[in-house]
Amino acid sequence: MRLRRLLLLGVAAVLLAAAGAALWRSAAPRPETAHSIADQLLCPACQGESVARSQSPMAAAMRDTIEQQLAAGRSPGQIRRFFVDRYGTGVLAEPGYDGIGILLWVLPSLAVGAVAFLVVRQRRRRPAEPARGEPDTAPSPRTGRARTWDAVAVAVIALVAVVAFTSPERGNTDRPARAADATSSLLTLARSLEDQGRYAEAAEVYRDVVAQQPDDRTRLRLAFTLLRSDRAAEAATTAGEVLRDSPGSTEALLILGLAQRATGSPDATATLRRFLKAAPDDPAVPEVRRLLAKS
Amino acid sequence: MSRRRVVGALLATAAVVSLGITLASGMGRASDAPEPSATGPVTQARSGTAPGLSGRTLTGAAFDLTTLRGKVVLVNVWASWCDPCRAELPVLAGAQRRWSAEGLEVVGIDIRDNAESALGLLSELGIPDLRSVADPRGTVAVAWGARGVPETFVVDRTGHVRWWAQGAVDAAWLEERIPPLLAS
Repeated sequence: MRLRRLLLLGVAAVLLAAAGAALWRSAAPRPETAHSIADQLLCPACQGESVARSQSPMAAAMRDTIEQQLAAGRSPGQIRRFFVDRYGTGVLAEPGYDGIGILLWVLPSLAVGAVAFLVVRQRRRRPAEPARGEPDTAPSPRTGRARTWDAVAVAVIALVAVVAFTSPERGNTDRPARAADATSSLLTLARSLEDQGRYAEAAEVYRDVVAQQPDDRTRLRLAFTLLRSDRAAEAATTAGEVLRDSPGSTEALLILGLAQRATGSPDATATLRRFLKAAPDDPAVPEVRRLLAKS
Repeated sequence: MSRRRVVGALLATAAVVSLGITLASGMGRASDAPEPSATGPVTQARSGTAPGLSGRTLTGAAFDLTTLRGKVVLVNVWASWCDPCRAELPVLAGAQRRWSAEGLEVVGIDIRDNAESALGLLSELGIPDLRSVADPRGTVAVAWGARGVPETFVVDRTGHVRWWAQGAVDAAWLEERIPPLLAS
């Protein structure tokens, strides 16, 4: 019996510590970046995707808006307000702290409080029961039922804890999110260099970002800036790598084709034709057609 | 005992209500946007002052919406990479020709596009004079609360947004909404 009690206390202590750590992790103040703000906004043009993740042009425009406003010295709260004014509270990934939003925060806490209250009351009643004249020796059916409830409660808590600690989301949200925070300022720098036409410098920054975060979009920016800084062979290699990973990427096809053309590769025409077939509505189509007609 | 039952019933009711509210608000969010009508764009009446719209046009001229106060202004968000815009742009140019004497101005916001492709499309459609503000990063369109392309905002003579349409507008849509604003 004592061992069981110790075990239960141990489990409770571990769960409390885990809950404390989780609370600390989510409540600890972290500097907000353009990426973290975009992550808390839902893209209005797409279902359930955050502005940070969506590939739609409108989400890209919203990311640029966030960067522009941060650069202008507006606070993350002001920026969120800006989007809510235009797109409604539905643009926020988390419910707000007013109106129905507050209910969504308060009701689960109330439910937890109510359950805790019931458990405590149940436990307080138990010692009083034998005094009612029931025999002390055999466990009463009430005590048996209370034990079952205890077991169920512990099982539910254990299940939640197991799911929380083993779910794949956990790994994803911790480290890569921090890495993304660190790289997002580099990306901003690279983009601003690119906007100023300093492609060679932008390419170097993109190369650093790709080393930590080799996603398609960044690798394509790297390929594009390499191409614009007359390093077509490297651009072709990078675009080729993206195409190997994502054969459907028409942007990779376009950059690969243009890079092959710049290096004088005989494959250029075939690659650009593939691009025209795959993306007939791309804004680059007229220009590619002109190039193909010239060669 | 009966008190316990009452408490239990109250808690159960609270649980069901909270679940209901959670589900309802989630579903409400999913169906926030108005239902698309069978024909024409999704349209909402709007109120409130129009956001700012100033910058360079595709041809490099300076533009500022405030200089058009006193006119009805149709602001259209478009891009050369947007397919439905191809059909819509000539309709807008037609509206400009038809109602310009009565005080209608049509202004495009060309988003996330390059000026060359945009001007290429306009001349291909035979409407090279349709004026558009270049918005290469799309931030102007976001300031207007646009959710995609094409979208149209109609601003009345006092500078207030009156209509917002998601999707391409057609002649019937314009016929229904522009003359009353021009008459006011």
